[in-house]
Amino acid sequence: MSQLIGTGHTRRRGLLQATAAIGGLQLASPFIIKARGETPVKIGFIDPITGSLSALAVTEVESAKWTVEQMNKNGGILGRPVELLIEDSANDTGTGVQKAHKLIERDNVDMILGDVNSGIAYAIMGVTAEKRVFHIVPGGHTDPITGKDCKWNTFRTCNTTAMDAAAMTKTLVSKFGKKWFFVTPDYAYGQTLQANFVRNLEALGGTWQGDMLPIANSDFSATLIKAKGYKPDVLLNLMGGSAQINCMKQFIQFGLNKQMALGGALYEIESVRSVPKEAQSGWFAMEWYWNQPSVPAVKKFVDAISPVLGGKMPTARHWMAYVSLHAARLAAEKAKSLDAVKMAHALEDLELPPEVSLMPGKVRYRAGDHQLMSDIYVGEMHPPGPGGADDLFTIGQTVTGEDAAGPAEATGCKIAWPA
Amino acid sequence: MNENFLSRHRQLLIVWALLLTVPFWLPMLGGYTALAGRVVVFALAAMSFNLLLGFTGIMSFGHAAYFGLGAYGCGLFMKFVTASTLLGVLAGTLVGGIAGTLFGLLLVRRRGVYFAMVTIAFGQVCFYIAYKWDEFTGGYDGLRGFARAPIDFGIFKLDIAASNNAFYYFVVAIFGLAVGLQALILKSPFGRTMLAIRENERRARFLGIPIEKHIWLAFSISCFFTALAGSLYALLNNFADPLGLNYIMSGNIVMITVMGGMRTFWGPLVGAVLFVALQDYVSSMTTNWMFFVGLTFVAVVLFFPRGLMGMLQKRAGT
Repeated sequence: MSQLIGTGHTRRRGLLQATAAIGGLQLASPFIIKARGETPVKIGFIDPITGSLSALAVTEVESAKWTVEQMNKNGGILGRPVELLIEDSANDTGTGVQKAHKLIERDNVDMILGDVNSGIAYAIMGVTAEKRVFHIVPGGHTDPITGKDCKWNTFRTCNTTAMDAAAMTKTLVSKFGKKWFFVTPDYAYGQTLQANFVRNLEALGGTWQGDMLPIANSDFSATLIKAKGYKPDVLLNLMGGSAQINCMKQFIQFGLNKQMALGGALYEIESVRSVPKEAQSGWFAMEWYWNQPSVPAVKKFVDAISPVLGGKMPTARHWMAYVSLHAARLAAEKAKSLDAVKMAHALEDLELPPEVSLMPGKVRYRAGDHQLMSDIYVGEMHPPGPGGADDLFTIGQTVTGEDAAGPAEATGCKIAWPA
Repeated sequence: MNENFLSRHRQLLIVWALLLTVPFWLPMLGGYTALAGRVVVFALAAMSFNLLLGFTGIMSFGHAAYFGLGAYGCGLFMKFVTASTLLGVLAGTLVGGIAGTLFGLLLVRRRGVYFAMVTIAFGQVCFYIAYKWDEFTGGYDGLRGFARAPIDFGIFKLDIAASNNAFYYFVVAIFGLAVGLQALILKSPFGRTMLAIRENERRARFLGIPIEKHIWLAFSISCFFTALAGSLYALLNNFADPLGLNYIMSGNIVMITVMGGMRTFWGPLVGAVLFVALQDYVSSMTTNWMFFVGLTFVAVVLFFPRGLMGMLQKRAGT
């Protein structure tokens, strides 16, 4: 049963009875929007709550639950209450696709959000496009989701690897120099990220070396010795999750922090929290950060959600789920409908108000590729500062999404609308 | 003898009556047709694997390789050659089956744990190829860019792309053909020889049976059927991903077979129902769903070592 965990049996029983009553009819006409009155707006949320990406997924889900709760206090979507149905994709594509079918065919959800794992997000896109269900990918980074494989019904909230690389390159070159060493996870995300960095670096006349390592690598000694020999200006740690943490720890143990600077694309707060103080350093891009004194809406958001998180500060993953859900609400309200085509048209180029975007710039899902043009914060990691345990990052520069992403035509996306 | 035949017949009738009426009763139980498609695909994979484990007595821990190769074979063929569903299924079956047949040549002299370990190794080789060969297989993100297409039979068109029920019946029809063929193989003299090898390999050898050749053939047949299941899995998801080649998938196939009952023909189908239903329902209620799947597996192994189907048959027999 899909459900908000904990409200089990009543919903199931109700559903069983309803399904039994109209079972045959349902089969004959599998997907017809019925008059719904005050029935809730159902949002399906698929994320890898178990498996190696679970830390990030749990954060997104935590924020999604809170956001829906708040939304319901403020009138829901189109005046109707919102019901969130969470499903675990278990970091497995087949399971993710199965859950998408389950949410669409059985639970008749109005829209789908997910997944952190780009591969699963892709696969779910196939299902949602086929079934014509509005879909937002809050946190799967691989480029083709809003590039050559983009779909009319899919929008993405987190950045592309190309955006992160573009935002970081100039800063790293101007601060440290043009001789780089990459430590990169060997799969699509890492490969495209490194390729984007290399292209930008070579355009500026830089040189580089690097190692491609397995996604869950734990021993970095050979690579780090190689890096020591190469004497780069900066080492880019592009690994993710626990591999990134291990690489950081070994970087410190080898004493390399005294010989070269540290940088990369993403170093998410979830990871920074779990490394030793010395490894809380380097220059990275943050997709959202809780401490933005120039944006009053951010403080309001942080003050509201922080007590629910046990006093911790929200991370970029909290923001991704929050923005995605509110974007869906705004799209439905502008379209005055839950029809996927109308909602998708409505969301294109819709400028998100600051209390939704929580950013200083003009933030919108651009029409050309359905990618969110969010601001990117380039800055420095540091051990906890005076602002508390989560005061780990200082924003050096804010790059606008448009500057980082380049023109939509260059992404290879051609949106084909259904007839 | 006669009674035995009758009870078998009854079993067959029950299984097919249930399978063919899925779209009518499953939604009433809170299910959905795509779930049933998944059950049938996993059942076919496990039944094909069971030809080896249950009926020849050989343990392979790498059947995900042929399952995944079937999926990739089907997907790549439909993406790069032609978008015909039936030809895609054929291509997937051939890719996985031929790979298994060739690899079987290296395997047949190994027994027991060595056999299992070499099959794992081959499975992981396939996994890493699919994982690393980004331009061709889509790497870690998986292979996309193909979708099941309606099948034109001349007199009528089966729209398996738009209708879930049509696709389900398409899968069930192929499943029926495949398991029918498996039953015929098991009934043939060759099938009897497989049982003889399972029961006592040395005795079979002394009877003059070329053991290696038979095991090789059984392995090859099993791989062809597993690859067929894999290509159906690709169509079910419109996607193929490297995790389908991973040893975890091999483990799932073994688990389904053992839970259902490896000495019975329909056991793996029962196992697939249990496994997929547990995964689907429990995972929505708790994030610790794997614990319950594992617990069920342990309980089945401890209390019904012949699996659920084996237990049912035993009870019916006494």
